[in-house]
Amino acid sequence: MTRTRRMLASALLAASLSLPGGAAFAAKERLTIDLVGEPNSLDPHVQWNPDSYYVYRNIFDNLVTRDDRGVIAPQVATSWKQLSDTKIQFQLRDDITFHDGSKLTADDVVFSVKRITDPKFASPQLGQFDKIIDAVADDAKTVTLTTQGAYPALLAQLVKLSVVPKKVVEAVGKDAFNLAPVGSGPYKFGAWQRGVSVTLNRNDAYWGTKAAFPSVVFRAIPDAATRVANLMAGASDLAANLDGDLAAQLKTSQRAKPVPVLTERVAYLAMNVQKEPLNDPRVRRAIAQAIDKQAITDGVLGGTEKPLAQMLSPAHEGFVEGIKDLPFDLAKAKAELAAVGPKAKQEIALVTAPVYDQRVVQALQQMLVDAGLSVKIEMTDMGSWLKRMQSGPDSIPVMAFSRWSCGCQDADGVLFPILHSASGWANAKDKTIEEALETGRQTLDPAKRLAAYKTVHERIASEYFVIPLYQAAQMYGTSKNLVWTPTPNESIFVNRMSWKD
Amino acid sequence: MSAPAVSPSRRRFPLKRWWPIAILAVFVLTAICAPLLAPYDPNAQNLVGRLKPPGTVSRSFYYWLGSDELGRDLLSRIIYGTRVSLLVAVLSVLLSGAFGTALGLIAGYRRGWVEIAVMRIADVFLSIPAVLLAIITVAVLGPSLVNVVLVLALTRWPRYARVAHAQTLATAGMAYVENAVLSGAGNARILFLHILPNIAGTLIVVATLEFGLMVLFEAGLSFLGLGVQPPTASWGSMLSTGRNYVATAWWVATLPGLCLFALVLTVNLTGDAVRDRLDPHFR
Amino acid sequence: MVGFLLQRAGQAFVTIFGVATLIFFVQRLTGDPTYLLVPETATQADIEALRHALGFDRPLIVQYLGFLADLARFDLGQSVVQRVPVIDIIASRLPYTLMLAGGALTVACGIGIPIGILLALFRDSAAAKAAAGFVLAAQSMPTFWSGILLILLFAVTLGWLPPSSTGGFSHLIMPSIALGLLSMATFARITRAALIEEFTRDYVRTARARGVGPVRILLRHVAKNAAIPIITVAALEISNLLAGAVIVETVFAWPGLGQVTVQAILARDFLVVQGVVMLGALVTIGLNLLSDFLYSVVDPRIALGGGR
Repeated sequence: MTRTRRMLASALLAASLSLPGGAAFAAKERLTIDLVGEPNSLDPHVQWNPDSYYVYRNIFDNLVTRDDRGVIAPQVATSWKQLSDTKIQFQLRDDITFHDGSKLTADDVVFSVKRITDPKFASPQLGQFDKIIDAVADDAKTVTLTTQGAYPALLAQLVKLSVVPKKVVEAVGKDAFNLAPVGSGPYKFGAWQRGVSVTLNRNDAYWGTKAAFPSVVFRAIPDAATRVANLMAGASDLAANLDGDLAAQLKTSQRAKPVPVLTERVAYLAMNVQKEPLNDPRVRRAIAQAIDKQAITDGVLGGTEKPLAQMLSPAHEGFVEGIKDLPFDLAKAKAELAAVGPKAKQEIALVTAPVYDQRVVQALQQMLVDAGLSVKIEMTDMGSWLKRMQSGPDSIPVMAFSRWSCGCQDADGVLFPILHSASGWANAKDKTIEEALETGRQTLDPAKRLAAYKTVHERIASEYFVIPLYQAAQMYGTSKNLVWTPTPNESIFVNRMSWKD
Repeated sequence: MSAPAVSPSRRRFPLKRWWPIAILAVFVLTAICAPLLAPYDPNAQNLVGRLKPPGTVSRSFYYWLGSDELGRDLLSRIIYGTRVSLLVAVLSVLLSGAFGTALGLIAGYRRGWVEIAVMRIADVFLSIPAVLLAIITVAVLGPSLVNVVLVLALTRWPRYARVAHAQTLATAGMAYVENAVLSGAGNARILFLHILPNIAGTLIVVATLEFGLMVLFEAGLSFLGLGVQPPTASWGSMLSTGRNYVATAWWVATLPGLCLFALVLTVNLTGDAVRDRLDPHFR
Repeated sequence: MVGFLLQRAGQAFVTIFGVATLIFFVQRLTGDPTYLLVPETATQADIEALRHALGFDRPLIVQYLGFLADLARFDLGQSVVQRVPVIDIIASRLPYTLMLAGGALTVACGIGIPIGILLALFRDSAAAKAAAGFVLAAQSMPTFWSGILLILLFAVTLGWLPPSSTGGFSHLIMPSIALGLLSMATFARITRAALIEEFTRDYVRTARARGVGPVRILLRHVAKNAAIPIITVAALEISNLLAGAVIVETVFAWPGLGQVTVQAILARDFLVVQGVVMLGALVTIGLNLLSDFLYSVVDPRIALGGGR
């Protein structure tokens, strides 16, 4: 059932696209892609930032990947089997060469795993892979990974593990590798003009689907209005991170069109349920009824986003059909708050940061004020916001708007950090939820996992520890000639695109 | 009013010089009387009436100047926005002007290590980007209108200090100041009764230039997400969100933009008028 | 004179040291970059581990001494976000900053000074009034608005100029105009004032009485004297242009130091901020020194560095 929902979703997103990727080849020499900023680094193991992985995911191959429908698919690994609860064995392709001509072997895979999981290496992504405690090359094309206990989210995490060439990395060292990365992907690193752009050139020896464009340029264009202007002027072919209103401008353009895609990003209202007045379940219940999710997705955001009744999107493993939330009912919300009395009237700060859509934040505030709460918006910068939000139950802000993506499309990457007290974000302190989360983290049996997450969803739906709002969309804009199906995991794989004149 | 147009004051400050001041007065009055003038609550949303052009009716709203991205009445927001723009500019000019002038006066009069210390501290503050101070203030003290004023005052006072310092140096050697010193007047008396009135003209000239800049700076901080808090209406924040609708809903940015433009323009024109009167070069 | 310059150079050194110290501590009031570097799913233990690896768990004073030790070796350190030396980041952005400042200064002087001359020579003509209006209007628009309007008009509708980013001379035109328009009024104003003052001097009257034409007077006599205050203002205006370019750089995706500073501040990339701010301090202080020096040339009553 999950699968069908997911396919339905991606089919929907592909509505305007008729040609399968790679079917049409035209003489488009260079594809220009406008991102918000330049990559932090092109070494896939030393950062975690969208502007970096948009670029380097075209230079490197991963052990496994997700296809356009979002299903985990072979990449460097052709097949895998679970040897025991903690051991999983991968068969690797033997026809992959790195851009320097050397062969990709099991040694490179083992090296990549050990590099990113080495605490001394201090990768920011360490937390995504530190359940892997050992990697062994059984032979040149077989690798066995050992996890600490059973770890069902392993494959979902491995989608992000780029394979780097052992010899090159060891020869040039950590900092130099970032400046001239060597991978095995469909594009080779070309040039990095600091602050301006990164140019990649097609890898004509690529083992998989070869790219349609001889070169691709990723540029840093911080202002969204400028990214739209670039598309309309024909100065770029693809732009990321627009919003619904900006994308709507493209509808009238001769050259460009909006390309929205639902992502695995879940927008929600975060609350500190240990603090007044939200420690009163009646107040939280009133809040759940006061928010008109449909008005936000259709009215404010333009209809691409979809309201959610649980903290996961259909793109996630762990999404459970049939979870119900309280319907929007302003009158009931008002009555409930009136019954609570003056306590409900104390001032609540709704904390936010400039990266979040301020239209949604202001709409939320208005809805809560309409219901009888006294809510004030408090804007800080992203660095302060993250610090405060992860500061534990004693100091987490009373209320905040947030959008969550683990980049893994798995319940464990969303629910565990938000609700389990081992994490700085969590404040619910709910025994039932924590036990279910631990089960979900350690059980390989999909049915048992789903049952555990069902418990979590139901508990949230009755206790309102957080209020799920909607499945967020990524708004791309592209040239009318670009044929491309974006995926929920917010990646830009250039070799899956083509050009139609 | 029937007096002939040759009265001495008129000649030095002709009637045509008054009109920018009159327009400025309209802005000030609008800011003060905002609740009386605005047809609706500036923060009242109407999600079914988003981005409606001027003259549209939607639910209980009649949008004289159209609606914004949350269906709020643009006219009411522009009227209330006058308050923020004026208040931030007036307060930050007063604060930075008073602080900078006082320090510059003392530095220019006392000289020696006081001068060195004050002027080098001014250099330090001139070197720190306003954005850095803005982010730190927001991170440490939280965001508010008062903190926006604080940030602007902290980054702008050195300009007054430098001018006051240079002017004081030029004035301190003049005969009437020397006379005052010889006649045993106290330092404070000399500073504020003899030197300050003589350099005030130049400082007011600087302040009028700064006033227009402060209005633009507040808008710039809003553009960078460091201005006054939403949903408070400010022209800067309206303009910076409205930029996204230039092609689809021109009124959202254009109307507050024109108000901002008109305000800065009249402030600069007023400044020019004041300058022509006070600056010795123009007499 | 040499003594004065040495003394001021010494003060400049102390000032820059002060800037560095202030920036160092003030920035650290805002936390550290760890939270911004890790994925949302990172646990507190992951965050602590990275913080330790990056050295942000050391006592502040230890970090400060390390910073000073590096500074003494002329090492500005490494960016924690990009993992390249700070000096490389600055070196890659500096040419763009200078290009934009140069372009803006050209626009500001190229339009502002002629208008100033026009205002001084033909005070009450219609052309002068129109020019004055234009200068004031140009100064009254926020750049983030005028910038996007310029892009929509010249790049999207007319297709004459590239909308953003770098590449050639044509890319420099719009950002230079957007930034330069703000300073134009300053140059017009100061040129007008300087010329009016010079024209009232005795030597001009004498020349006029001898029948020398106004253009000749302007070029041969007045221009030289009026240049000093204009240069003084230009010196101050350059530091304004360097600092005020943040928004223009953001709108036009121009990779100058302004953008890098804001991004580094938001990313808590402390060493990059310190490097850029210290460079800015060097320039600001140098230009202030120059303008103080020029003040004393213009007005000999102001003794250099005297004491009471």
